[in-house]
Amino acid sequence: MSSTRRRIRTSSLRAAAVVLLCGTFIAVIAVQGQQVYLQAAAPEDQFGDVTLNQHVTLDNGPVVFNHWLHRAKFTCRLCHVDIGFAMVANGTGINAKTNEEGFYCGACHDGKRQFGNVTVFASCRQDGVAKADVTCSRCHASSKTTRKYSYREFTAKLPKARYGIDWMAAENAGVIKPIDVIDGLSIAKQRINNHAELAIAPQVQWFTGIHFSHELHTKWNSCELCHPDIFPTQRDRAANMSMYQIANGRFCGACHVKVAFPINGCNQCHANGPMWVNGPGWIM
Amino acid sequence: MRKLAIFVSLLACGFLWPLRAEGQSASQTQANTAPPHQTKGGLAADPAEQQAFQHEFDDVCGRTQDAMLLTKDELKDLMRRCDALVPKLTKLDETQRKVYKRRLEQCRGLFAYVLDTKKDSNK
Repeated sequence: MSSTRRRIRTSSLRAAAVVLLCGTFIAVIAVQGQQVYLQAAAPEDQFGDVTLNQHVTLDNGPVVFNHWLHRAKFTCRLCHVDIGFAMVANGTGINAKTNEEGFYCGACHDGKRQFGNVTVFASCRQDGVAKADVTCSRCHASSKTTRKYSYREFTAKLPKARYGIDWMAAENAGVIKPIDVIDGLSIAKQRINNHAELAIAPQVQWFTGIHFSHELHTKWNSCELCHPDIFPTQRDRAANMSMYQIANGRFCGACHVKVAFPINGCNQCHANGPMWVNGPGWIM
Repeated sequence: MRKLAIFVSLLACGFLWPLRAEGQSASQTQANTAPPHQTKGGLAADPAEQQAFQHEFDDVCGRTQDAMLLTKDELKDLMRRCDALVPKLTKLDETQRKVYKRRLEQCRGLFAYVLDTKKDSNK
């Protein structure tokens, strides 16, 4: 009887030890999970590159899309609202058929559309409009890949920021004039009237808040691009918005981790940077 | 054996719990991923129907920029018009449907968002 009791007590202790061990394990992972791990930003010439690899063949490797090339010519809104590109890689469902039908890349890359004195080459066309072996390699990585534009040459005359190109300054100076409307694709709209500025309070006391400008953000975007998918109502996002979420690509991170200037420079958003930083507040 | 089962299930909980947050954010991101619209083309079969759809679509989704200036009733009416367009999407070709569906979702979502915001500010 006593040996049975001893056995029960021993197994209870073992079970308690296992529970304690697992509890500690869970707690450690949970705490680690809430920390903000800022990844070093990619090299400037690769920042914003999107690799589309859903339809890779032996002849054609993945498509590497350069945001720096397209954002110099078009607003974010035109592509992500009017044409309908998703905000994450491989989320759109682009394939040769959709392009041939005049959707997605094919909306502009139809071999006919003109921007300035340039006729945009046709993408994924097999009907003789363009030779496949030439056009495929303009976008698909392969041994025959011939990129027409190099980042260094293309951006040589654009104003520089602490990291990469200062696109806002480039537009203000008239160096770039991003197109916001394309006939046959866009709906004629007024410019946004609401330029309310928001003060976003920090969640911790040792950091300054953010002064968010709708006016700046709606230069290249439209309301429905951000609301409600990226930024749900104040009440819905209040509990979730944090640097952890942002660093993981939510909220501001939907653009600022991938394409728009990276979040590594604290005081680009937090006006005075972290309270203890008196310098540029740049984490690389 | 039972102890092993308890240990494994607790361990599994330990691994799955932190992944829950990631899963939530992934599912929210996925909400933005479904492909949107385009104004090119239209209803495949009937040109008149296509034109009517296009006109209504442009009229409704052309109001997004001044959504903040609209009244609650106007917003509700626009949402109703978005909903009325949804059944017509089934007549579109696959890619068109995908594109317009997403575009409509964006429009409706914004109107609902603004309506919600206005309701909140009245509280």
